[in-house]
Amino acid sequence: MNWQLMWDSLPRMLGGLSLTLQLIVGSLALGALVAFAVALLRLSGNRVVETLAAAYVFVFRGTPLLVQIFLVYYGLGQFEFIRDSILWPFLREPYWCAILALTLNTGAYTSEVLRGAILSVPSGQVEAARACGMSRALAFRRIVLPVAIRQMLPAYGNEVILMVKATSLASTITLMEVTGIARRMIAQTFAVFELFIVAGAIYLVLNFIATRLIKFAEWRLTPYLRARA
Amino acid sequence: MHRHPPVSESAPAAVVVEDLHKRFGELEVLKGVSLTAREGDVITLIGSSGSGKSTLLRCINMLEIPDDGRVVIGGEAISLKKTRGGASVPADARQVERMRTRLGMVFQSFNLWTHMTILQNVIEAPVHVLGVPKAEAVDRARMLLDKVGILAKADSYPVQLSGGQQQRAAIARALAMQPKVMLFDEPTSALDPELVGEVLRVIRQLADEGNTMILVTHEMGFAREVASKVVFLHQGRIEEEGSPDKVLTNPDSDRVRQFLSRHLSGAA
Repeated sequence: MNWQLMWDSLPRMLGGLSLTLQLIVGSLALGALVAFAVALLRLSGNRVVETLAAAYVFVFRGTPLLVQIFLVYYGLGQFEFIRDSILWPFLREPYWCAILALTLNTGAYTSEVLRGAILSVPSGQVEAARACGMSRALAFRRIVLPVAIRQMLPAYGNEVILMVKATSLASTITLMEVTGIARRMIAQTFAVFELFIVAGAIYLVLNFIATRLIKFAEWRLTPYLRARA
Repeated sequence: MHRHPPVSESAPAAVVVEDLHKRFGELEVLKGVSLTAREGDVITLIGSSGSGKSTLLRCINMLEIPDDGRVVIGGEAISLKKTRGGASVPADARQVERMRTRLGMVFQSFNLWTHMTILQNVIEAPVHVLGVPKAEAVDRARMLLDKVGILAKADSYPVQLSGGQQQRAAIARALAMQPKVMLFDEPTSALDPELVGEVLRVIRQLADEGNTMILVTHEMGFAREVASKVVFLHQGRIEEEGSPDKVLTNPDSDRVRQFLSRHLSGAA
């Protein structure tokens, strides 16, 4: 094992960190919005809307993320109406293709986590809210959503970890994030083992931080669980 | 033992229920129930489980939507309409929400909001539904928590409280809306026997202060003490109603007699 090589590779490898973080934060933030909308659509009570939302979830959970990335990056450009649309300046960029695929993927998973959490809110608490004269929307905002978000945090933490790792797939469509840089350096040095270990270690540190952040959020948002004594 | 003074026949009606019907699928739970609660009335609904007493209570604030009949709160009838499928729904959700602010509901299982402190539970609806300024709501909430004897628990979370304390907090939450009528749905049925007394004491105090209340209960001794009127339901119909002395000691109906012989032993 060439320790010196590993150490020397670190600054260059960390040069991809900014892009990796952009992919993580960007797709998680946009994915959360998608998830929120889709979860609401799935609980809307409208049969057509619910079926469409369920189909989206089914497709994006049921196919590999790598295939989704390829479809967005290589596939969309084949359609003339997309090349002619105002979205084309974005969709021809691998960066936005990666963000889009990651967003749609995490949006599908997270919407299911959120939907389950919403359904698990005890009906008695909702009934108490309605009995006080709260409208459906107010009860959702003040009671259902706060309880559901606390409920979903552990499962959502899992999704965050998966997303941190999933950004490495962006390297397949030319993006020079951490894994992309590792692959290019390996092509030059043939030090497969050493350089992938360095790349892996970077993801490990990122996920260590991610799990701490989620734990902290859980701790902050659930004083009533800490209080149990 | 003290008794609730009889309520004058000329007192204005707080809640009027007319010919209420409610079905759950094939099962007809209410088969035409009419009831009037005048201001100052304390009406206890008694009957075996499945007699429809909880459903009747829940129809009054539209937690269950009656299939037929009318509910009139403070002179205003809640308007219902039929969907194309034949289901009964409120014609105006806003009206129902407005009505509910005048009806305080206390549930068997407390249903406090677990992510909020007791104080937050009590100020939630006054602030967010009625638009009461927060400082004012907090002052009032503290007064109410003091009244039900759990002011010391204001900053605790529901999980930290005993069942009796949680139910008293739930009563304070309902009172915070300054309702015209309080509805209690078996408020002591989920409690350990030694915690029942503290909740009944609070409810008795509310009765003594002249609050209008409708309460479903299995505590016969308590019903006799606080009620101005006792209503016995059997299979979705009113079997007998009248003063507690009449219904609970000398009922006309054999069913009521049988029910009492099963429930009164040790309860008074």
